[in-house]
Amino acid sequence: MPFEFNLPFTAVVGQEPMKRALLLNAIDPAIGGVLLRGDRGTAKSSAVRAVARLLPDYDAVEGCLYRCDPALPSRYCDDCRVRAKDGPLPVVRLPMRIVELPINASEDRLVGSIDIEAAVRSGTRRFQPGILAEANRNLLYVDEVNLLDDHLVDVLLDAAAMGVNVVEREGMSVIHPAHFMLVGTMNPEEGELRPQLLDRFGLCVEVETPTDIDQRMEVIDLERRLEMDARRVQASYAGQEAEMRKRLTSASADLDAVRIPDAIRTLIARLCLDGSVAGHRADLVVARTARAICALRWATAVELSDVLEALELALPHRRREIATDKQAQVQQLATRAAEQLAQIQATTPMQTTQAVDGEAAQQEGAAGSETNDGWTTSETRESPTNELNGEPDVVIQLKTFNVKKLDLPRERQSRRAAGKRTSTKSKTKRGRYVRSSQAEKVTDVAFDATMRAAAPHQLKRRLSAPEAGNQLQLETHDLRQKVRERKTGNLIVFVVDASASMDAEQRMLATKGAILSLLRHAYVRRDKVALVAFSGRNARIVLRPTSSVDLAERRLERLTIGGTTPLTHGLMTALKLIKTERLRDPQVYPLLVLISDGRGNISLFGEEPLLEAQRTAGQIKQDGIRAMVIDSTRDFSNQPGYPRNRVTSLYGAYAFNVCHDLADRLGGRYYGLFDLSQNAIVDTVQREMLRTGSG
Amino acid sequence: MERFVYPFSAIVGQEKMKLALILNAIHPAIGGVLIRGEKGTGKSTAVRALARLLPEQTVVADCLYRCDPDATEALCSDCRDRIAAGETLPRARRRMRVVELPINASEDRVVGAIDIEAAIKSGERRFEPGVLAEANRNILYVDEVNLLDDHLVDVLLDAAAMGVNVVEREGISIWHPARFILVGTMNPEEGDLRPQLLDRFGLTVDVEGIKDIGQRVQIVERREEWESDAAAFSERFAAQDAEIGQRIAEAIVRFPRVVMPPAILRGLAELNVSLQVDGHRADLVGRKASQALAAYRGIPEVGVAEVNEVADMVLAHRVKAGGRRELGTLTQPVPSASRASRS
Repeated sequence: MPFEFNLPFTAVVGQEPMKRALLLNAIDPAIGGVLLRGDRGTAKSSAVRAVARLLPDYDAVEGCLYRCDPALPSRYCDDCRVRAKDGPLPVVRLPMRIVELPINASEDRLVGSIDIEAAVRSGTRRFQPGILAEANRNLLYVDEVNLLDDHLVDVLLDAAAMGVNVVEREGMSVIHPAHFMLVGTMNPEEGELRPQLLDRFGLCVEVETPTDIDQRMEVIDLERRLEMDARRVQASYAGQEAEMRKRLTSASADLDAVRIPDAIRTLIARLCLDGSVAGHRADLVVARTARAICALRWATAVELSDVLEALELALPHRRREIATDKQAQVQQLATRAAEQLAQIQATTPMQTTQAVDGEAAQQEGAAGSETNDGWTTSETRESPTNELNGEPDVVIQLKTFNVKKLDLPRERQSRRAAGKRTSTKSKTKRGRYVRSSQAEKVTDVAFDATMRAAAPHQLKRRLSAPEAGNQLQLETHDLRQKVRERKTGNLIVFVVDASASMDAEQRMLATKGAILSLLRHAYVRRDKVALVAFSGRNARIVLRPTSSVDLAERRLERLTIGGTTPLTHGLMTALKLIKTERLRDPQVYPLLVLISDGRGNISLFGEEPLLEAQRTAGQIKQDGIRAMVIDSTRDFSNQPGYPRNRVTSLYGAYAFNVCHDLADRLGGRYYGLFDLSQNAIVDTVQREMLRTGSG
Repeated sequence: MERFVYPFSAIVGQEKMKLALILNAIHPAIGGVLIRGEKGTGKSTAVRALARLLPEQTVVADCLYRCDPDATEALCSDCRDRIAAGETLPRARRRMRVVELPINASEDRVVGAIDIEAAIKSGERRFEPGVLAEANRNILYVDEVNLLDDHLVDVLLDAAAMGVNVVEREGISIWHPARFILVGTMNPEEGDLRPQLLDRFGLTVDVEGIKDIGQRVQIVERREEWESDAAAFSERFAAQDAEIGQRIAEAIVRFPRVVMPPAILRGLAELNVSLQVDGHRADLVGRKASQALAAYRGIPEVGVAEVNEVADMVLAHRVKAGGRRELGTLTQPVPSASRASRS
């Protein structure tokens, strides 16, 4: 442990579910860890580090790099397998400890790599175990897990899924066990986790800031005491800590004695099924968690209350739908569980009719969600009429939209984009090491390649410099540079007309839906979406470039419409925004999506608004920013047979189609809003990004 | 080598910025300060000037991270090993430095990396410390922090929050202390910082160009005087600078003894709850900053005035939707609430 972290676990104020989840994992590490989601500064990290001191000890093979469990020969590492043939392995008692994966970690440290020291000094090829090796049978802690680089997440997922770490790199070929309790903390405002990784966490707890004044005062006071004299605080909690540790150890020992009645097992399976949860892991985790809860209260048979608590911890991140009212959901679940349990107990042996019931209900649910998929008609059309007679600024509800999934095309597209641009990526040391090359100035040495390059010359060099002995002799021209690949991020900037035109509500709804669906299923941290809205006298950035659905939802909810159309302001704001993002990350890939009727009527530079907008469009094109224009006035739905290509706007006041002209000047494509359903906007943006990738 | 630095007390105006810097100097755990404002408002001058005022530190003479030999809990692993081996650590006195992080810094420069030369020549796996190592017990100055690569900012603030830099890269597995006063500057016109990152800065100060004609003239005059004869100019302000330095040194000693009445704590917590500030950080920073202010002013007990004076710096970047304007009207409940509970 690098540091004496000060806060004792039992001193953490409030946050009961979080503490509970950590303790349950300490009792049974097979639960699979926990993900703590919540605001910054709510003692998440401190609690994780503090719980490390309460973790139980375990038996391990003495001298084994991976601390293999002597009782589990099937999980032995290669070394232990060999040693086991010569008789029983020596056993040592080790404390379970916390291994941290910092977000700045490089891939070779995570999986392990060739031991440079051994290679250069004695020319032997030896494996230097990485963090995954250290984490075997320990707690692997990833702070800000949602900020971890994608390629690290992939490696982590692989290892977590298989329980082994397979290393095939730098001329090494090693397999070693990697079973660990994964604990992550994250702030959802910073971006979501990929669903596969989410599922790897056994439990998930939402951590919120307490609003109770006394609790908050207690926190301030505790921190003050820690700051003054940490040792005294620790000493005052020593008794409680020892007590807690004892309780955990005994619960952990009692675990095997805890029985799960058949009725309860059936109940768990059913609840997981109609909780619309993906995969079977949930059933497993719920059962294990319920058992640990039971053990913690010194009981031997799992009861309904244990299951309910376990469900609350194991399901939140596995549900397909996001709960709107958590309290109600918990209540509902409790009553339903009680009913089901009574039903199960009444009908033993189990009946098939219930299974059929469940299926029917599921189908019903599925059908229900399908009907409001896409461009909702009835609900959306209704809402404006209700609200228009109210205030001039209409706040639009988001709930009417059901967002379409779109992971597949995105993945393909990102890879393609990244693949094309790897050569520019080698500057930073981030990313996956894909191959090596010769470079003028080597900053990121690829040791394997370097050694391979030096190998043929060793004999000759040794002859000419015998004093160096067995050492590997390198010359500058042997050096090889690592070429790294990183996935590129797309930045989609929506520039939306929020003026009070007759089509404003539709336009806003379509845009909001599009933004949310782009984000919701986008690969996390790779793509970002921003929103600039213009109305009245200026444009404002409603949503800064983000990949967070949470944040986007909150911002979009507050978005209002009304006022005039300062089109130029909108374009200029977007341009500035993109330029800033480019300063930050020169490899960002921007696409500007303008959704407007094109009838700008507010001047920015004191010229004719239309001319200004045209000039700005030219400027955007000159800066090499891809763009597309969605004309919110073009509507074919009630004009069947209308020619699809060049059409004039519905507004006859202009001699030519303003939006089409803008699109031309932007060097982008032109679409009509009403022939694009909300899903189609997403698809179109996708396509546009693809085109950008190949162009 | 004695290079001249523009004296702190010669800086005209910008009282808030100066105060925020001083508070951090008294109690670095406040978590640094973010200075938002246009270019040319004396931001970097003030930071550099501050470093000169601060009392000298005792360091382990030959430690890479300048460990404090008296703070056994914050020692680096090298120093720990040396103590364990029975060695007495050599001591030295040293001034605080301003370590700058350029925006084009690469990640390995920030966190440190393997020393390639040593690795190739002798096969030694040696750690080459980065900016975070250099910054330990110093001031880390990040100009244009909003333009820094997001990932770098994450790494930076992570280290700042933990007071430790954990390096796991290229065969190197090492940790070292990284406690520093973080000073960031940004021009909001060039893009904002993510709210998450904003929250990690203890205080925020918004600086503006000075509008007062008299003060503007004074700035130019002083600058000219400084440029023509830095030595004489420094001499002129030496006494004032020394006095501020003295007050800071005294405040550091006084800080732990400053009383924090429960009524004030309650007022602080209530204010943050009413403003819907996420997390506990606003509570914690508010407590520290007001306590540091009381220590600086020589007041034995934190009062409403101290809380209100720092409230703006603590909350400006933490209050959602709007920020300061709402703050102005909402700071009112504090005095009344605490006064009522006091009397």
